[in-house]
Amino acid sequence: MPVDLLIVDDSVAVRKVLQRLLRQADLPVGEVIEAGDGQQALAALADRTVHLVLTDINMPTMNGLELLRRLKGDSRLCQIPVIVISTEGGKGTVMEAVELGAAGFIRKPFTPEQIREKLAPFC
Amino acid sequence: MQTNPLTIANELTRIVRDVFETMMGLEVAAGGAPWFPDSHRLTAAVQLSGLWSGAVLVECDRRLACRLAAAFLSMPEPAEVDDMVRDVVGELANMIGGNLKCALSDGIQLSTPVVVDGSSQLLRVCGAEVCQRLTLECEGRLLWVTVVSIGAVELPHR
Repeated sequence: MPVDLLIVDDSVAVRKVLQRLLRQADLPVGEVIEAGDGQQALAALADRTVHLVLTDINMPTMNGLELLRRLKGDSRLCQIPVIVISTEGGKGTVMEAVELGAAGFIRKPFTPEQIREKLAPFC
Repeated sequence: MQTNPLTIANELTRIVRDVFETMMGLEVAAGGAPWFPDSHRLTAAVQLSGLWSGAVLVECDRRLACRLAAAFLSMPEPAEVDDMVRDVVGELANMIGGNLKCALSDGIQLSTPVVVDGSSQLLRVCGAEVCQRLTLECEGRLLWVTVVSIGAVELPHR
């Protein structure tokens, strides 16, 4: 079954790169929707759901960790696996993301292989 | 704990090379020219605050900015700087700043990137002090990566 994804990053360029890598990764990717911050992500998920969320941390309005906290606190959305993709790969940040329920962590900069490897278990 | 400028220079060089090679397949080499102000550049900056306050600035001319965007997005080179080019240069500063932050301390917050026309305008605004400046060359054009401190001369280290 195709996997629908939500990409959350305030950089349009990063969202485009991730879209391209997902299409090239030979994974069963279905619809890919985008959001520019956590608040937009929650709005996008208000009347629909996805199978996987990829989110940056450092974003305006609502950052990725707060988004993760909101998703895990929502009975309708808490089962969606969330993979964090961020430059902020310090031990403290990774631990916080894991404690909040992140299913994986990808450090920026990333390779196509890293994206494929981290996403494959969810596809 | 404090670290010396040579350590920061080496770490910064490693991070810049990693970001450029991984995201764009571009090599970065040490450049010979000293920094000089130029209004035709783009400067992207991310601010760091917390246990250490400062900023990381990435400066390049507009042609190189367009080439970086083309490599980042695997698309033809834009004829001129547009929002997407600015976004790419900002994201490069974000990646370099974020990785430098990780090398320094968890007790530092990173801002979202700001991209301005001209060179190092933030230096004048913040009255910041240059801690480290790398002159680099990419695609035959010059690129500067500068770390400035605000209210602290030395950088903390893990």
